[in-house]
Amino acid sequence: MTAEASGATDAPGAAGAASRGIFPPELLDRCISCGFCLPACPTYALSKDEKSSPRGRITLMRALETGVLEDDDPTLREESSFCLGCRACEPVCPAGVQYGELLEHWRSHQWQGRRRPPLARVLTNVVVRNWLVRRLGTFRGHARTAATSPQGPHLMLGCFERALFPAVSRAARRLRPELDAPGDQGCCGALHAHNGDLELGRTMARRLGDQLPGTIVTTAGGCAAHLAGVLGRDRVKEFSEYVAGDGSASFGELRVDGRRARVALQDSCHLRNGMDVWREPRELIAAVADYVELPGAAQCCGSAGTYSLLRPRDSRRVLAPKLDQIEAAGVDYVVAVNPGCQRQLVTGLRRRRSRVRVLHLTELLAAAQDGGLPRRRLRLGARPGRRAEVPADEAAGMAAHLNDRPLPDDPGAAGAGRPDALDGSAGPDEVHRS
Amino acid sequence: MALDPGVLAELESIVGREHVRHREGEVAPYARDATPLFSSPPDAVVFPARTEEVAAVLRLATAHRVPVVPRGAGSNLCAATVPLQGGILLVLTRMDRVLEISTEELLVRAEPGATTATVAEAAAAQGLLFAPDPGSRTVSTVGGNVATCAGGLRGLKYGVTRNYVLGLEVVLPTGEVIRTGGRLWKDVAGYDLTRLLTGSEGTLGVITEVTLALLPMPATASTGVAYFSSLADAGRAVTQVLAHGVVPATLEFLDHTCIGAVEDYARLGLRTDAGALLLFGDDGEPDAVERNLTRMGELCADEGALEVTVAKEVAQSEALLAARRCSLPALSRLDTLTVLEDVTVPRPRLAEMVDRIEAVAARHDLVIGTFGHAGDGNLHPTAVIDARDPAAADRTHAAFAEIFAAALELDGTITGEHGVGAAKLPYLRDRLGDDQMALLARIKTAFDPAGILNPGKTGS
Repeated sequence: MTAEASGATDAPGAAGAASRGIFPPELLDRCISCGFCLPACPTYALSKDEKSSPRGRITLMRALETGVLEDDDPTLREESSFCLGCRACEPVCPAGVQYGELLEHWRSHQWQGRRRPPLARVLTNVVVRNWLVRRLGTFRGHARTAATSPQGPHLMLGCFERALFPAVSRAARRLRPELDAPGDQGCCGALHAHNGDLELGRTMARRLGDQLPGTIVTTAGGCAAHLAGVLGRDRVKEFSEYVAGDGSASFGELRVDGRRARVALQDSCHLRNGMDVWREPRELIAAVADYVELPGAAQCCGSAGTYSLLRPRDSRRVLAPKLDQIEAAGVDYVVAVNPGCQRQLVTGLRRRRSRVRVLHLTELLAAAQDGGLPRRRLRLGARPGRRAEVPADEAAGMAAHLNDRPLPDDPGAAGAGRPDALDGSAGPDEVHRS
Repeated sequence: MALDPGVLAELESIVGREHVRHREGEVAPYARDATPLFSSPPDAVVFPARTEEVAAVLRLATAHRVPVVPRGAGSNLCAATVPLQGGILLVLTRMDRVLEISTEELLVRAEPGATTATVAEAAAAQGLLFAPDPGSRTVSTVGGNVATCAGGLRGLKYGVTRNYVLGLEVVLPTGEVIRTGGRLWKDVAGYDLTRLLTGSEGTLGVITEVTLALLPMPATASTGVAYFSSLADAGRAVTQVLAHGVVPATLEFLDHTCIGAVEDYARLGLRTDAGALLLFGDDGEPDAVERNLTRMGELCADEGALEVTVAKEVAQSEALLAARRCSLPALSRLDTLTVLEDVTVPRPRLAEMVDRIEAVAARHDLVIGTFGHAGDGNLHPTAVIDARDPAAADRTHAAFAEIFAAALELDGTITGEHGVGAAKLPYLRDRLGDDQMALLARIKTAFDPAGILNPGKTGS
C-alpha cells in the first residue's frame, strides 16, 4: 500500500466514499476480491467475464452503493438477473461472504416497481395470497391433514410444489405419518425474497412460521434455506435431514429388472450451499439403492427458482452438461430434493427422450418402502417428433406446460414467460393418485 | 479519459464486437484485482482469442498512445493489473487451451489464460507434476503466474515459476511476435529474455503462449503439523530441519492469529491455543517421505514443539494444505480491510524478522497476523483493520514502511512472490538502488518505446 492509493478503495463507507444504504455494510465489506469464487460460479463458466462472477457482481453492488453507477445502469440490470442465485460461491469463500443475502438486497433495490421482470411479478403476486395457494393444490391431491398439532412437526406443502408435484407430500406422509399437513398453510416467501421483494419474503416466512408453530419439515431445499434464514435454523428441517436425524430410517430396497436400482442425486443449491445438507440425501439413497455420484451433482441445474422461466435459454445452457452427465452415468433414476430442480430435470430429460426418470427423494424412498414404483401409464415417446404428447408421469405433465414454450429471441428478455403459463399448471388434466 | 471512438471501432473490428466492453457498468468490475486499496477502471476491456489479435491491439495502442494492461484472472496481490491510467484492459481468459503435453520431453505448452489448476490437472493425467503451486491456483492463470513469477507452497524444494519456464511466445508493445527459449533445457543463445519476461508484470510484453517444464509425479506425499508456543520457536525448528540436510517440499507456518482465523473457516481441529503452527511435508518415494517426516517431527520436538502429528491419509494432508492456502481470506474475517505484505529474508533470520514484525504491530497498535513459507524465508504479515478508520490506515502505512525497512536491513527484500505492481513501486528504489532503477527504465524503453504497456508500474 502506498500514498498513491489515496481514496482508491472502492469499499463503501471507506474514507470519502458515499453510502446509499442499499446493502448492509457488514455484508458488503466482507469480500476481499481474492477471486476464489470464480471457478465455482456457473455464469462465470459460461461467460468468462468478470462482471458475471460473484467477485465482479460484488464490485458492481459497491458501485451501486456508492453511486458510481446509476440504478438504471444496463449492466446492473443484466447481471442482477443473469446470476442464478445458486450460492455456490458461498462454501468456497474463505472470507465468509454471504452472497445470497447480498443478491436479495440487490434485487430488492434493482427490481423495484416496473424494473421487476413481469413474470416474476405475476408469480409472486399469485402465491402471496393464501387462498390462491390453496387453490393451486385443489385439484392436485397433495397430502393434507385436518388438524395442526401445536408443536409440529409439520409438513410444509409449498406453493408450486403442491401444484406441480403433489405426490411428493403424499410420499412424505406415507414415510412419516406423524407429520401433519394442514392444507391452509401459505407460501414461505422464498420466491419473493429471491425475486426482488426481500421484505415481503421475510414477512411471509414469519406468517408461515405462525401458521406452523414448532418444527417445520420441508421437501424443498430452496424453501428450507429461506425459512431457516428468517425463522432460525433450529425451526426448519429439510426432509432428508429430518429422516436421517431420527436414526430409524429403514425403507427396504428399490429394484429394477431384478437388480438394485442405480440412482443419482441432484443437490439443491440452497440446501447444500445455504444449509450444508448434502450427506443426508446421499445416505438415504444409498440405503435403498446403488448410489451414483454425478460429477456435477453439487452444481446448479439452471432451474434456480424462477430463472428457468425468466431466462430459459441461459437456464438450458447451464443444464446441458448436467443432462450429459446423467445420461452417461447409466442410472435408472435421478433424485431431486427441491421442486424447481425436479421440474428442470423432468423437462430436460424429457426433451432428450431419456430413459432416466426423475423422482423426489420422498418418492424414491416411498417406492422402496412400497416395493416398487406405481406403474407408468404411458411410455415416454419412442417416436421422434412427438414433442407435445401426453407425458408419462404427472410431474412431467405439469412441467411440460411451463417449459414447452417457444423461446424468445432475446434470452435475457424479462417477459420471456407468459403469465398464462400458470393456468396450465393448475389444470386438472393430469390428476393421478397412487 | 474516454477512448477515442475510432480506436474503439478498430478494437471491435479486431476481436469482434461481442468481445469488447466499454460501457461504464461493464468495465467497473475490472477496476480492481485482488489487491486492496487500488481501484481504477479501464476505458475498454478487450478479450482477444488469438496471438494475431493481441498483436493488432498492441499496434493500434502504440499508434494511438493508449495504455494497455494485460490481465489473466486478476488474482494478483500487488495491483499489477489495475489500469491506473485507464486505457485498454487486455483480458486473456479466452485463450485458455492446454495445447500439448509431452511425456517424452516433460513439458506442457499452454495458452496464457488456462488456469494453473487446469494445467496441473492436465499434467497429472499424464503422470506428471507441474510444480509451482501458488495459493490461488484454482483461479490464477499460467500467463499471470509467469508474468508475476508466482511462488507458492513448494518453493523450497521445487523453486518457483521461473524455474519451470522453458519458452514464451510474447507480443511486443510495437506488435512484433517473438518466441524466446523453447523446448530446450540447455539454450544459451543470446540474452535470457525468457527470464527477463518472467516476473515483468506485463510491462514489457504480452505473453500469448507458455512452455513449462514438468516433473515425474512423486509416488506419494504426506504432511505433518507441529505446534509451538511462539513463532520464534517455530523459526528455530525450521533452521534445525534445514541444517540437518532435509529439504522438504513444504514448510509453512501460521501464527496464533492465523491459526484461529483458519480454524474458524476450515474446522480442521487445529489447536487454537498454540502460538504458532508449522506445517511440514514431503513427497517422493514412500519410505523416503516417511523417513523425512519422522526426522522433521523429531527435530520439531527437540526445539520444544508442544505437539507433533503426521497426517494419516492423503485427504488429511490435502485439507491441511488447503487450509494454509486460504489463510489470507480467512484472516479477512477479522475486520473489514485486510492488507497483506510479502517480505522475505534469508532463512536463518526468519525468527528475527518475526520478532521485528511483532514489535512493529505492538508499536502501532495493529492486529497483524503473520503466515508464510518458512522454508524460503517468505513471510506474509497481514494487517486487519477497519476500513472506515482513517487513523488505522495511516498506522498501517507507517507499520509496513518499517517492516520493509527491517526486511532490507536483514538482507531481505520487499516482496518475495507477490510482485511490485503499483503497490510496492514506492519501495522498489530502496531495494534496487538508483543505478538499477535507471537500468530498468532503459530496458523498459527498449521494449516499449511509446510507454503504453502497464504504465505507472515497474520501469516507468
